[in-house]
Amino acid sequence: MSGHGMDLDLGGKVALVTGGDRGIGAAIALGLARCGCDVASVDRGPRAEAEAAAGRIRATGRRAMAIEADVADFAAAERAVAAVVAEFGRLDILVCNAGITRDAVVWKMTERQWDEVINVNLKGCFTYNRAAAQIFMERRSGKIVNIASINGLRGKFAQANYAASKGGIIALTKSLAKELGKFNVNVNGVAPGMVMTEMARTLGPEFLDAAVEETVLGRLATVDEVANVVVFLCSELSRHVTGEIIKVDGGQYI
Amino acid sequence: MARVAVVGIGHGRFGQRSDATVQELAFEAWREALQDAGLAPDAIDASVVGSVPEYHKQRSLAGVVQEYLGLNPKPTWLTEAACASGSAAIRTAWMAIQAGLHDVVAVIGCQKMTELSTGEILALMGRVGEVQWESGFGTTFPGYYAMFARRHMHEFGTTREQLAQVAVKNHYYGARNPRALFRKEITVEKALASDPVASPFHVYDCCANADGAACVILASERRAREMGRAGVWLDGIGCASASMSVLRRPDLTGLPSAVDAARQAYAMAGASARDIKVAEVHDCFTIAEIMAYEDLGFCEKGRGGAFIEARQSYIGGTTPVNVDGGLKAKGHPIGATGVSMACEIVRQLRGQSGERQVPGADLGLTHNVGGIGQYCFVHVYRRD
Amino acid sequence: MFSWFGKVSYCAHTKVAAFADWLKTGRIAASRCSGCGLVSFPPRADCPRCLSGEFGWVEVSGRGTVVTWTRIDAAPAGFEDDAPYTIGVVDLEEGGRLLAWFGASIPDDQRRVGMAVQVVPRLFEEIPEIKVHYTLEQPGTMWFKEPAPAAAEGLR
Repeated sequence: MSGHGMDLDLGGKVALVTGGDRGIGAAIALGLARCGCDVASVDRGPRAEAEAAAGRIRATGRRAMAIEADVADFAAAERAVAAVVAEFGRLDILVCNAGITRDAVVWKMTERQWDEVINVNLKGCFTYNRAAAQIFMERRSGKIVNIASINGLRGKFAQANYAASKGGIIALTKSLAKELGKFNVNVNGVAPGMVMTEMARTLGPEFLDAAVEETVLGRLATVDEVANVVVFLCSELSRHVTGEIIKVDGGQYI
Repeated sequence: MARVAVVGIGHGRFGQRSDATVQELAFEAWREALQDAGLAPDAIDASVVGSVPEYHKQRSLAGVVQEYLGLNPKPTWLTEAACASGSAAIRTAWMAIQAGLHDVVAVIGCQKMTELSTGEILALMGRVGEVQWESGFGTTFPGYYAMFARRHMHEFGTTREQLAQVAVKNHYYGARNPRALFRKEITVEKALASDPVASPFHVYDCCANADGAACVILASERRAREMGRAGVWLDGIGCASASMSVLRRPDLTGLPSAVDAARQAYAMAGASARDIKVAEVHDCFTIAEIMAYEDLGFCEKGRGGAFIEARQSYIGGTTPVNVDGGLKAKGHPIGATGVSMACEIVRQLRGQSGERQVPGADLGLTHNVGGIGQYCFVHVYRRD
Repeated sequence: MFSWFGKVSYCAHTKVAAFADWLKTGRIAASRCSGCGLVSFPPRADCPRCLSGEFGWVEVSGRGTVVTWTRIDAAPAGFEDDAPYTIGVVDLEEGGRLLAWFGASIPDDQRRVGMAVQVVPRLFEEIPEIKVHYTLEQPGTMWFKEPAPAAAEGLR
């Protein structure tokens, strides 16, 4: 992110990333750290993985914090945000990235598959947005980036739950942009297409090929390509952008 | 300097006059004044209309009134100074006569307050003060005077009971005035128990809006003597302004414009406060009458509460005040009030006030305030 | 924009409109005449002393003393849902006078003529529009100031 001559002004800022222990979230956390942020991550995966991710943050010279919590837990979200502020003295950036899939066609989708995806993806976005909003309102400053998906814009076969959660994140993002603008808080979303993560690699080659064929650039996104746009939205370069959803999909859905 | 005489007075019924237009209300007072003066309409050289336009649907009020009164093509225009519009019109007529421009001028104070919808009235209510720095916080007319009252209570120990006693007195006299809106006496207890409006004021601390009209006919000394109607003179007129904004009034326990206007009127009339036998003061709120006692010199600064408590402003006291019910009992058709005050004082000086007559009244005063004191007009009337 | 100032605005245009911009950043600004240095609060564009129409801005602390107050029960248009509310008039420490609502830190039974207060810039939070005002709070109340606008001349 350096060398382009424009100042991101992220030095000394503090960010909280949900799902920052792996995949897109880890890339976002590392991208912010390389630009000068201390980063806290909230996730519920194996602690070894969370600590390894924190270690990579610290290797850039920044401070890191790994918090274990279910993002859908309302009270835990308030505690986590408070803990970050207590540890680092401030909070400037929130990235809500934690997300899961539980695919099924609707007539076979179970109640549990629906609830789990809505809770982790959408409610988990609400809980952290709400907790951080109060801090940002008081400080009259803040950046929120919520990770959606192009499937939240276009729907997806066998992903009624996932698409609904991501569509909900988009609407939540726009609503919060309207509520928090007067407090100088930018609230934006990033909608990736198919991203080459460890999880994606476990899908069969026909799924990946189908996705590549949808793009116009002829390839899938890397996690860093998604993280770059998130970092942009957390920086002063995008200070007049709010209520916006930026697709990072190689033209998969135009 | 030649003098200006009051040769005719007329007063309509104040109240909720949904039976009449503003010009029809004006005609009630006009007819009575002409009869009182023994004049035909063509004896009038000009008219001045006192009214506040924003409460009416009809624009160009002076125009429509002049036409209805049958006074075209005589000169006319509107004079506005908020609740002191009536006195402003009287001052204007006095000036025109003293300038030698006209000999006989009719002053018509007329107002409808009830043509507007509740919503329109509520919107106007919020624009009484300075809109730039104050109205955005929801200030109201009672709110401003309530703040004066609180300061007065803080500095001088004035009590809510003393405020209520002003209302009690004015309702007592209003009950004896067939042209008043409110004709029933009240008690201090009833006043204290009424609904809150703006602390420390409750409903009975506040005057009520009303529709109505009053008329006085002024004449030059020469013409008055020719008419055989010389006898009551407008000998002292004073007028002063003060800041519109309470944020620029050093003292919030009195109205500086009233003090200044009174000083001018007394000087011009060659009189002092203790010479005044009867007065009409602007009791838009109870505290306003208490402040008027002090501003006009009827008692010392800060002693207005004691003054009413000792019944000094009743007939029989040192200076009877508002013995026609005041704004409190008559209601306050804002453009008409100043002229209504003049009518009562003239009646008193002529000895025509019946059971409300102040014995030996030969010098009377009207004190008419615009808004929260940005304008004040004080007039002193004398009977030869 | 001056229409930001107050719950209801009857004054959209004024030469001292920047007052509202300053208030949004958390600063209470008085005007200072460029001709003779007279400082005025509320601010005014035209100097009553030297007639100059040139002026700048100077921040005031917001510390002051209550001159008088009233609790309004009968509210005008636009304030019906707020009633009852209490307005106070405050003499400011640096001079000038201000009218504002009492805030939550000074309950009904603690309001007194003569009490010391801190005027605190506020945003109306639960409405979509940007609207600013100030409230009277206990002395020592803190609040956050935004960075001054980039295009501002700066408060001296």
